[in-house]
Amino acid sequence: MKNVIAYAEHRHGETRKVTFELASEAGKIAAALGGKAHAVVLGPGSERLAEQLKTYPLDTIFLNDDADVEAFLLDPIVDYLEAAARIAGPSLILIPNTLSGRDVAGRLMARLDAGMVADVVELKPDQGAVVCTSPKLGGALITQCALRPADYGIVTVRPNAFAVQAGGAGARLEPLAKSVGKSYRAAIESDVEEGAGELALEEAPVVVAGGRGLGGPEPFDTLLKPLARALGGAVGASRAAADAGWVPYNLQIGQTGKTVTPTLYIAVGISGAIQHKVGMRASGTIVAINKDAASPIGEFSDLLVVGDAFRIVPELTKLVETSKGSLS
Amino acid sequence: MENHQEPIALSSFLIERRSLYYVKIVVTIKLVPNPNAEKQIDPQTKRLVRTGVETVLNPYDAYALEAALQLKERAGGDTTVTIFSMAPDSLKEGLRKALAMGADDAVVLSDEALEGSDVSATAYAMAAALRTLKFDLLVVGGLTDDSSTGAVPGALAEHLRLPCITNARKVEIKGDAIEVERETDSGYQTVRGPLPALLTTALTFGEPRYASLKGIMGAKKKSIATISLRDLSLDRPVGTAGSKTELRSFAPPPVRGKGKVVEASDGLSGAQAIFDFLAEKRLV
Ligand SMILES: Cc1cc2nc3c(=O)[nH]c(=O)nc-3n(C[C@H](O)[C@H](O)[C@H](O)COP(=O)(O)OP(=O)(O)OC[C@H]3O[C@@H](n4cnc5c(N)ncnc54)[C@H](O)[C@@H]3O)c2cc1C
Ligand SMILES: Nc1ncnc2c1ncn2[C@@H]1O[C@H](COP(=O)(O)O)[C@@H](O)[C@H]1O
Repeated sequence: MKNVIAYAEHRHGETRKVTFELASEAGKIAAALGGKAHAVVLGPGSERLAEQLKTYPLDTIFLNDDADVEAFLLDPIVDYLEAAARIAGPSLILIPNTLSGRDVAGRLMARLDAGMVADVVELKPDQGAVVCTSPKLGGALITQCALRPADYGIVTVRPNAFAVQAGGAGARLEPLAKSVGKSYRAAIESDVEEGAGELALEEAPVVVAGGRGLGGPEPFDTLLKPLARALGGAVGASRAAADAGWVPYNLQIGQTGKTVTPTLYIAVGISGAIQHKVGMRASGTIVAINKDAASPIGEFSDLLVVGDAFRIVPELTKLVETSKGSLS
Repeated sequence: MENHQEPIALSSFLIERRSLYYVKIVVTIKLVPNPNAEKQIDPQTKRLVRTGVETVLNPYDAYALEAALQLKERAGGDTTVTIFSMAPDSLKEGLRKALAMGADDAVVLSDEALEGSDVSATAYAMAAALRTLKFDLLVVGGLTDDSSTGAVPGALAEHLRLPCITNARKVEIKGDAIEVERETDSGYQTVRGPLPALLTTALTFGEPRYASLKGIMGAKKKSIATISLRDLSLDRPVGTAGSKTELRSFAPPPVRGKGKVVEASDGLSGAQAIFDFLAEKRLV
């Protein structure tokens, strides 16, 4: 395991920060292993993203703008990644730990008969092996798992865990040939974006999350969004809020939702059930606003303010906005 | 290494299904320690302590089962739902909960040689066992509560050569095809594929039903069959020997203690307390 491959997920060339985190880390680990770092960019818009990735510490950027990548569910992506992996030989393959990344990783693991570690937050080369740190059991244990030198190793990487660091001699672009004789079976007939252009929850430096305490959908727009915007963050939610239909499910944080690790997490009207906790416990600083002083969220918050969210949040938004105004 | 195993014979499945006029659904269910209970790892074996801990159906799998049961109700006729689990023999009675919800029967792959299997070995062994069950639709959970790799569904689809449609929130079976509305990281898609297929379900499919008293009574009589590795043909090792990852060490995360508590007499004082706290930490 010498070479490293980063899978650059994107939509029409638009990508998320995690792609640059992967590209940066790929370069770092490859250097430590004495190998080369590559990226794989697939589907319409590939050239645009590949140009951006050129400034990262990569050797080769494999690409193909094949329209089938958007027309069929994952089959073409898995084929292309397999092809790139065969070129690189037993390598470490970095895939973002997103819904689609997990699907790609599982399939590629079986194709390459690879080792795999999920939700990795740290990578350390060790005599040809790579030791992966990942939280397990909802973060109740932090494990160190080694991928063996002779195998392909697949890692799904938690967004926000690795630093973005451009630099490098300028990567070479290399077209990746389409595999022949493969059949694509699941056809994508329509594809709808919700909340496009907004900061992705998993990589927001600040998350302002709301729960049942908000009582309905409106406060997410009128209370939380302005605060999130003022802090440069994104809005999230508890399962109770998602279940009630106040926000889409892709904003849900927790065991059965997303795992987030922002620098600052503000929980508004969220009680802090264990299933919610596991999705945000690794945040840098946790602040809770809750009218119940005995709410479990207080047990793991750095600051619990006991009071009414409807009164506190608008004032806080004003304070943050004013402070920004005075700086600029 | 390529998969040396023969791909699932898709065409024979379809022919058989057409002649039988029913849909056979298999749902994979893992029994996991109660997510709310304290988890422990045996320092010697470095494995999760599963004895003496109450087990529950893995939460995602309860949703997968709910989806399968809804499909069964809609398809009607002789449509069946079979539970498949890879689990130590001592846990298999835990599957009665799934049978009580309405599944027809269960098959458990159980073998001491499976102990220590990592995700690649697990998916491989599961696929080998699933290959012996005939089905039109395989419904898999999205993620386990204990190992949480989310890699098993994709790996099963590869090993069994099945179309892989994940995170479904609406499913329609139309003849030999399946039409799915699925959640993506940024919205949703509609996807169409042939049967047999592998499906994972999103939680939006609907809350898992409670078992009725009648269901609980009926479950006592339902079959839980056990198969072992001897019943399967494997061309690679499983268990510890077939695992490709080695757990080196583990530790609890740094404790996150109770922090400061401030009673806010009004909105502004509460806001000021937060603002000052953030300013002190240079977060604003
Ligand atoms: C298998 C399973 C998986 C689950 N997965 C998840 C998951 O992924 N994510 C998740 O979040 N949950 C999950 N849950 C649900 C979880 O157990 C809790 O039910 C849920 O997190 C509660 O959401 P909540 O905190 O918003 O609501 P509640 O527990 O009802 O808390 C509302 C809080 O708001 C406070 N409040 C009310 N009004 C105000 C006000 N005006 N100002 C300030 N505070 C106020 C109350 O004091 C209370 O603490 C899961 C449950 C199960 C069984
Ligand atoms: N031992 C097992 N028995 C039955 N199903 C399993 C087992 N392990 C994993 N699965 C299925 O695969 C899904 C994803 O698991 P994982 O990849 O381990 O997160 C689960 O939700 C289950 O449906």
